[in-house]
Parts: sequence; C-alpha cells; structure tokens
Amino acid sequence: MIEGRPDELHQQFDEVWGNPRGWRAATIVNHTRIGLLFLLTGLGFFIFGGLLAMLIRAQLALPDQTFMDADTYNQVFTMHGTVMMFLFAVPMMEGLAVYLIPKMLGARDLVFPRLSALGYWCYLFGALILAASLFLELAPDAGWFMYTPLSSLPYSPGVNSDFWLLGITFVEISAVTAAVELVVAILRARAPGMTLQRMPLYAWYILTMAMMIVLGFPPLILGSILLELERAAGMAFFDVARGGDPILWQHLFWLFGHPEVYIIFLPAAGLVSTMLPVFARRPIVGYRWVVVAVLTTGFISFALWVHHMFTVGIPHLAQAFFSAASMLVAIPTGVQVFSWLATLWLGRPVYHVPMLWLFGFLVIFVAGGLTGVMLALVPFNWQVHDTQFVVAHLHYVLVGGMFFPLVAAVYYWLPHFSGRMPSPRLGRWGFWLVFGGFNLTFLVMHWTGLLGMPRRAYTYAPGLGWDTPNLVSSIGSFIMAIGIATVLVDVLLHFRFGVRAAPNPWHADTLEWATRLPPAAYNFISLPSVDSRYPLWDRPDLVKEMARGEQGLAAIAHGRRETWGTDAVTGEVREIIHLPGNTWLPFAVALVLSAVCIGLLVKAYAVASVAIVAAAILVLRWSWENGAHEEGGTAVPISAGDPPLHWRTHNGPGRWGMGVTLLADGALYAALLFGWFYLWTVAPQWQVPAQSPLDARGMLANALLLTVATLWLRRVLAALRRGSDGRLRGQLAAIAALGLLQSAHLLWLMHASGLVPKATAHDAVIAVVLGYTLFHCVLAGVATGLQAWRVHYGYVDRAAPYEPIVLGQLWYYNLGVVWSAYFALVLFPSTWGGG
Amino acid sequence: MLPALAVPWLAACEGPQSILDPAGPAARDVTLLWWPMLIVATVVLVGVTLAWIVAMVRRPRDFSPEEAKRLSRRWVVGGGILLPAASIVLLLGFGVPAGDRMLPLRDHAPLRIDVTARQWQWDVTYPGSRVVLVDELHLPAGRPVHIHVTSADVIHSFWVPRLGPKIDAVPGRTNVLRLQADEAGSLRGQCAEFCGTGHAHMALKVQVHTEAGFSAWLTERAAAFPP
Amino acid sequence: MMWLYHPLQIPLGLIVWGVWFIALYSGLSVGCAVAPPDAAAGPWNWLNAVLGGASLATVGLLLGLSTLCWRASRRVGKNERAKRFIARVGASVHLVAALATLFIALPIVGLPPCV
Repeated sequence: MIEGRPDELHQQFDEVWGNPRGWRAATIVNHTRIGLLFLLTGLGFFIFGGLLAMLIRAQLALPDQTFMDADTYNQVFTMHGTVMMFLFAVPMMEGLAVYLIPKMLGARDLVFPRLSALGYWCYLFGALILAASLFLELAPDAGWFMYTPLSSLPYSPGVNSDFWLLGITFVEISAVTAAVELVVAILRARAPGMTLQRMPLYAWYILTMAMMIVLGFPPLILGSILLELERAAGMAFFDVARGGDPILWQHLFWLFGHPEVYIIFLPAAGLVSTMLPVFARRPIVGYRWVVVAVLTTGFISFALWVHHMFTVGIPHLAQAFFSAASMLVAIPTGVQVFSWLATLWLGRPVYHVPMLWLFGFLVIFVAGGLTGVMLALVPFNWQVHDTQFVVAHLHYVLVGGMFFPLVAAVYYWLPHFSGRMPSPRLGRWGFWLVFGGFNLTFLVMHWTGLLGMPRRAYTYAPGLGWDTPNLVSSIGSFIMAIGIATVLVDVLLHFRFGVRAAPNPWHADTLEWATRLPPAAYNFISLPSVDSRYPLWDRPDLVKEMARGEQGLAAIAHGRRETWGTDAVTGEVREIIHLPGNTWLPFAVALVLSAVCIGLLVKAYAVASVAIVAAAILVLRWSWENGAHEEGGTAVPISAGDPPLHWRTHNGPGRWGMGVTLLADGALYAALLFGWFYLWTVAPQWQVPAQSPLDARGMLANALLLTVATLWLRRVLAALRRGSDGRLRGQLAAIAALGLLQSAHLLWLMHASGLVPKATAHDAVIAVVLGYTLFHCVLAGVATGLQAWRVHYGYVDRAAPYEPIVLGQLWYYNLGVVWSAYFALVLFPSTWGGG
Repeated sequence: MLPALAVPWLAACEGPQSILDPAGPAARDVTLLWWPMLIVATVVLVGVTLAWIVAMVRRPRDFSPEEAKRLSRRWVVGGGILLPAASIVLLLGFGVPAGDRMLPLRDHAPLRIDVTARQWQWDVTYPGSRVVLVDELHLPAGRPVHIHVTSADVIHSFWVPRLGPKIDAVPGRTNVLRLQADEAGSLRGQCAEFCGTGHAHMALKVQVHTEAGFSAWLTERAAAFPP
Repeated sequence: MMWLYHPLQIPLGLIVWGVWFIALYSGLSVGCAVAPPDAAAGPWNWLNAVLGGASLATVGLLLGLSTLCWRASRRVGKNERAKRFIARVGASVHLVAALATLFIALPIVGLPPCV
C-alpha cells in the first residue's frame, strides 16, 4: 500500500473519479473497469468456445460417429471459430490494452471514455445475441469465413447466417472504437517528456495493432453489409447470374482476415516484449529494430490475403506475389524472436511462472510460424490447403502466439488486478498439462492433414489412415482442457488464498506498477514527467513523488476529470484533456442498437427503424454533452500557467479521433470502390446497361453544390482559427441547410435514376455507393446544424472553437467521397465503355 | 540398415488419400519439397528452443557495452534477418518453378475430362463421348489429363491427393487442373471445400487404366448410353 | 529538408510500398483483362515489362529516400534526439520497404502473367 498525502486528497479524487455500485455501475466509463469487463467477458466466451471444441474432438475421436449429425456439427464448428476469433481473441487483447495503456503512458484514462464504454456494451450485447443462436439451434453453419454462395440465401435459407452477419458487425463496433481510442491515446495523451522513442515497446505494438484494426476491419464490415443486403433485400453482389462474383466475398473477407491474425498476434508479442526484459532484468535488446519490425509486420500483413485463396483459380504470377510476401513476413517476426533470445542471453534471467508460459509461446509459435512459411509455398499449399494440416498450423500460431502470452500476462498482471499473488505450484501443473495436451492434440494433426483428411468434415470413413491420429488428438484435447481448468482454478483461488503483493512485485520498469495494487480509478494522484525509457528503473523515487502529489495535475478541487494532452512526437504538454464522468449514454445507445440488430434479424423493420431514430437522438444528445456544456454554470478556471482545456484549442484529441475514424470510414469506402472495379474487371457475367441509369449532369451539379458548402465552411473555420466568430451561428446554420439541400437532391437523383439493385450487381453497387454518400452528407448537415444551435447557447464561439474544426474534417471527407463517386460511377464507365 | 529403418516410416505415409504417397509426378514434386522443408524447420525449431533453454539455465555473466552490442547485432541480424532471408530466397527459387511445372500450359492435345461439382456429388463427362459418370473418374496412366472443373451451385474443391493439387469448383468459372498418373490402380478423391451438410461424404472413386485399358473401358461404357 | 524529420517519415516507406503493391496487383488484373499476353512467351511481354519497370522505379525511390533520411539523421545534434530517432527509423523503414518491393517483384522475371 503506497503511503501518500493525507486521505483527503485521495477522497477528493475518489469523489470525482469514483465508480458507483449496483445498477449505476452501467454508467462507468473508466478504462480500468472497462478493461476488466472486456477481460472477464472474453474469458467467458473463451470457455464457451472451448466447450464447443471439446464437442468437435469428441465427435472426431472415432470414425463414422453420429454423436452429432452433420447439421449440428456445422453449427458447432462455425461457432467455435467465430466465438474464438471475434468474441475472445480480439476483445481480450484490446481489453488488456485498454487497461494497461493509460497506466503505462502515465495518464489517468483513455481519451474518449464514453466511447470505450460504448464499445464494451456493443461487444457484450452482440456476443449474447450471437451466442443465443446456438441455444435456439439456429447458429450460423457456413463456416467462420462464411463463403458465398453457401452462405447466400438459396443455400442457407434460414436465419443462421444473418445471426453471424448482424451479430458480428455489432461486435465489430467495439473493436473499431477501441482502436480509435488507443491510437489517439498513444499519440496524444502520454506523460510529459515521453517522446516517441521513450514510449514503452508495448505502446508501439498497440499503436500498430490499432491502426491495423482501423484499416483491416472495415472490409469485413462492408462485406457483411453487402451479404446481408443480398440476403434480406435481394440485391446482387455475389450472384454470378446477375453480374456478381462469389470470389468478391473471399477478397473482402480475407482483406480483413489476414490482418486479423496479426491483430491478434502483435499485441501478444507486445506483452512478451514487456515481460521478458523484466525477467531478464535488463532492457530489451534492439528497441529500434523491434519498432521497425513491428511496423513492417503491420503493413506487410495487408499484402498476404490471397494466400488463403491459392486454389481458387487466380493466375500464377499473382499467387507468386502473395507467396513471396507471405514468406517475407517471417523476417520481422524473426527479428523479434532473436531480440528476445538476445535479451535473455545478455541478461540475468530469473524463473517465475510467467516465464514458463513465455517458453511455451516460443516453442509453439515458432513451430506455427515455420509451418506458415511452408504454407506460403504455392505448390505445397495446393496440396494441404483445406486439410487438417492448416487446422494444425492455425492453432499453433494462435494458441502459441496469443494464448500462451495471454496466460503469462494474466499471471504477471494478476497482482495488479487483485493485489494478490497466484500460486507457483498450481501454475506449473497447469502449464505442463496445457503444453503437453496442446502438442498431443495438434502436432499429430499435421500428419492427419498430410494423410489427406480435409477440414470441416463432421465424420470420416475408417481405413483411410485417419483413425489413430484423430483419437490421439482427441485424447490430447482432453488433457489440454484439464490444464486450462487448472489455470482457471489457480486464478479463482488466488483471490482468496493468494499472498498480498508487494508494490512492483516483479521489479518492472513500466509505469503501470506505480499505481496502488489494485489501482484507484484515477491511476495516479499526480502524473509523472519522464526522461527515460525505463522510468521505474532509472528513477526509483518517482513512485513516491507521484503518490505524494508532487508531480503534475494534482489538483482536483475544480471537480473535473483531467489528464495531460501531449505532442505526438516530443511529448511536450499541449493541453489539459477534460474527460467526461459517468453517464448512461453509452449503455443506452448500445441497448438501442441491440434493438436495431434484433429487429433486422427477425425482419421487424418497423421496430428497427424506430430504434435507429432513437439511437440517432441519443447520439446527438451525447455530442451535446461535450466541451463547454460540461462546465455547468460555474466555470472553475484552470490554474495560472497551466495549458488550456482541450476544447478551447484548435487541435485536441477529438480532431485526431475524427481523423482516425475517417480513416476507418475511408477503408470501408475504398473496399466498396474495390468491389466496383473488381466486378467490372473480372465478374464472369458482368452486365452493364446500354445507358447509365445515373443522370451525369445531376451528379455533377450535386458534387458542385457540396463543394460550395464545404469551401464556405472552410472560410468560416479559418476565421475561427484567427479568433473571429462573426455571424458564426448564421453561417453554420446556412451551411447546414445547404448540406441538407444537397442531400435531398442526392436522394431525388437516386429515386429518379431507375436503378434496379435487385436485378444487376452493377446497379446494386451503385445503390450502395449512393446510399453511403447520402448517409454521410446527412450526418454532416445535421451535425453542423447542431453546432449552430450550440453557438446559440454559447457553448461554441471564438474562445471554444474546437467542435466546428473537428467537424470540418467530415465535410472534407464527404467532398472526397462525392467526387470520387462521380469519377468511378459516371466518368469511368462512360470512357471505359460497356463490359 | 537404413532402408530397414525407412520402411516403417514410409509405410506410415501410405494411405488411399495420402499426400505423401504420390501416384503421379505433381504429387511427387510436392513431397520432394516437403521433406527438406520439414528437416530445415525441425532444425530451426530445435535450435531456437535450445537457445532459450541454455540462456535460462547457464550461469549469467556480465557483458561490456561493446560486447553486448556486438552479440546483440549477431543474434538479431544473423538469426532474425539473414537466416530467414536465405531460407525464403531458396524456397521461392524452388517453389515458383515447381508450381509452374504443374500448370496446364504446355501439353499438346491432352485428354480433356469435364467435372461439374454439385451438392453433393461429382458429375463427370468425357467430351466427344456420351459417357456420364457420377462420383467416378477414369483416366489413362502415363499422360497428362486436363480436368475442367466447375460448380453448379456452391464452391466445392476437386482433389485427388495422390495425383496432385486441388482446384476449386467455382460457379460461373471453369478452372483447369492438370493431372497425370504413373500407373494403373485405384485412388480416392474428396471434396476439399466446405459445401454444406453432405460435404464429408462427397468422395470420388478414381480408377487409373493403362492406355489400352482406358480406350477399352471408354468404348464399353459408352455403349450403356443411348445416342 | 525539414520534411525528413517529420514523424510521417516513419511509416512513409511502407506506405509507398503499399501503394506499389496495390498498383502491382490491380495492374496485373486489369492488364490481363484487357490484353493478356501469350503464355508461350513466358515472362517476356509488355505486361511483365511494365510491372517490372514500375517495381524497379519504386525500389529506386525508396533507396533514395532511405539515403536522404540516413544523411539527415547524421546532421542532427546530440540534443535533438527525437529528430534523430525519426530520421533513423525512417531510413530503416525505407530500406526495408525497398527490399520488400524487390523480393515480392522477383517472380516477374520467371512467370508469364495471366495463366
């Protein structure tokens, strides 16, 4: 227990930052609680997914079994993959990052706390909807990657696939919101003096992971929207006869799917890079090498996706590009592995339970990486693709590369979560059972695949040589399950019987160990300035100084939740970020979005429409409760010499958040344009009407109208930056009206166009592009109208110019969308001619 | 003695659908790639594992900053960059030509067989003949055969592991797979892309004939189909 | 030369590589849809030439950027460590991107494009 200033200061901080109990706990937005909720919920779904795995292994233990029929098995294996990938792996890694990042960066919270809370509730509700499907015997059954046409309506007529499409998209909101937050927090809310090169390596890993989510998840979101539109509204995207292509689904899915596995691996590698130096008792070898390796892995992983499609019939030269890239990614991974080995070699390693799990990670992940390089070889891939060999490989890299570091991290940070230490003996037993059981299950599975057993088959005939290997795998899986249960028991028991943890029990170097154990909601009474990469190693007195309130931002009498906003590169303080307190809004929005999801699922479109309107109202209210509105009647000024509150600046976290969100949005739009050009180029029966259904002049006029409105807004914002807010309310209102007029015109153009999206993929894609544009233009218009209203109330003016500046980015984005749509949908077809 | 040791090992590779029991040149090329990859991968895995264990177990010593820098560069650059780089250059160098050789590009007048996959059976036809087979494929040994594969409904995958690679059966497209069998015999194929409830049972009986035997079989079988 | 110390130098090399990769794959696909060269000619055709030329140009650009960043990192004083970090990491990333471009483009010299 860290002794500090009189309890009075802690008490004041608790009043401002405290977490309510009971029902009101649903209003909590603090990152520590939200992070723990992600971890707990992820654990629950891990157990659920694991039970499904046991069912699979029970079924496959012997040939010709009918313990599960084909239909049940198909639901079980689809849900196993879906639950593990979407409801366990990503939320677990993000949850740990949400918990750790602010503490490691010396901050009090993430930068958009209400957004993290929204993410959590969307995850929980979406996951519950998806899990419910299994109990209704309506679970998705087309495999976790849902290939069309099998997942299209004619071949999956039930609501099973819709559960997947709607449920997973709902859950993905949480992935993207957490990613946006983490990017902005890492770039703009670090401790003063924490330059880029003084950031803990974990922050580099999470920054990369988060940017990968921002760019990698939208293609799947788009694909899911398109497939759901095809299933529910009869539009044509993946149907050959109407000009679509089932391979388009595969491209969209794997454009997401390959980065996804690195999104899962990189944060785990970041955990390894954090723990291993602590146990080697020296800084990691080659910090810069690792940074370059992590960035390289992040980018290159986006150029691998076709290696999941080597047997589809793509030209060999194209396959060779992806083969080369897939092999190439082994190099940055190798750099990290050898960095870890060198750190151990040059250090003085100590043995603790987490090190056992890190050893298991090394062996299993490296094995998986090696079979991955084998799979990158095209002719070998042509043989083992879609066999048990791939199942073995993917489990080696995912279990080895993510699960083992996760357990190591749980043991390592357990004293942080609970203030107590786990048991070394039970920990050892758990490790060896899991390690042994895992290898018994999956090592022989490579062999099963080489003997020709395909994936996703609910049973197999005897006499093909698959009987013994499958039995061995099934026995191994039970051993592994017992091992996992042992670990869970150890974690549960330690809450009761664990020895109380001393401060910083592992003698680590990162700032999260400077909090109390378990931490207070506000992390630190005063926020540190840092001048080295290893603050707790280089300045042992720092922790005491922080606890005594001698470091920064130790005032709380004003009743505001605050943390430092710092420069992205130099770590110099730029502003004080004023954070929101507990609120019902995130929970309420997530609840209403569940109603939308369920309404669409059961085709109760009236309910869904009402819910969408309700969500919109809540979101508008949310954006109202911002900035100056939060000051209330009596604005307590900041201390003299302190930097300004962020909503009085031109460049606070919101601007960065908007920028990163627009990157995600842009990735979705880019995937849509990709779909357009892809179908135009290679769809087998692409149909182009003799005359374009679009009014070319009307579209041009529409784009010009938006251009005028945007340029006008630009002038208003420039004036605001110069400190001038003359006729701000009137101008913003007029710009909003102009934007809404342009939206109405676009809607009229769509209606008058005679598009038949149910008849051809050509028209369907155009309809989606125009619908997307319309949504964004209406959004910008309404939000600008809201801004005008806030000017009226005095929440926005030249002393609080922040919000319109943030909104301006959306207008520029929309301008880009409208003009690129004009080029892609009007100019390109007229010059290129018919298909 | 070495052959005696190898025999049970090779026997373990046998199986009606075993990739490691090649009955044709394409499958054989893949096994020739597989065994060296396995050996190199095993050596790397054992090496990395030993490095970790030794680092944990040995008595730690102090390194001067220059020593540390030199050693760390050796580890990171040698092990992390040069070792994988050399491996992948070799792999690509062998793999790309091997794949190229399997393509249906350079054959003069190959035999053409059409396969249409549907839920959950294989419809096999021989252009120029009236023969229509279900879940059966007959081909002559010793020369390349081009299988033109398509699907009537969802995506399936045509695969006879002992002969060579698989190719997906995609609706709206026809993919061409080049297969060649060494000698007469019976083989087994199976659908390798999940296609619904009947996926696990979508197998294919493959009968390889001698050249003369194949012509005889084709004529005899055609008699069963009225003109 | 201030732009050499801008933090965007850090990912810039890989961004350039990414744009090249998109151009490579889409260029191949569009080229094959419009005017596929005869497979018998092997890798000696207009499409491979265009793709190869673009790849070499990209490698050259990235090597050039790497050299510029490296030299810029040496001109920085000891007390401007942030700038030096950015320039050094930027130089490394440009180099990595150049090598990645070269390796991935290698099959262009060995395979015909559209089969």
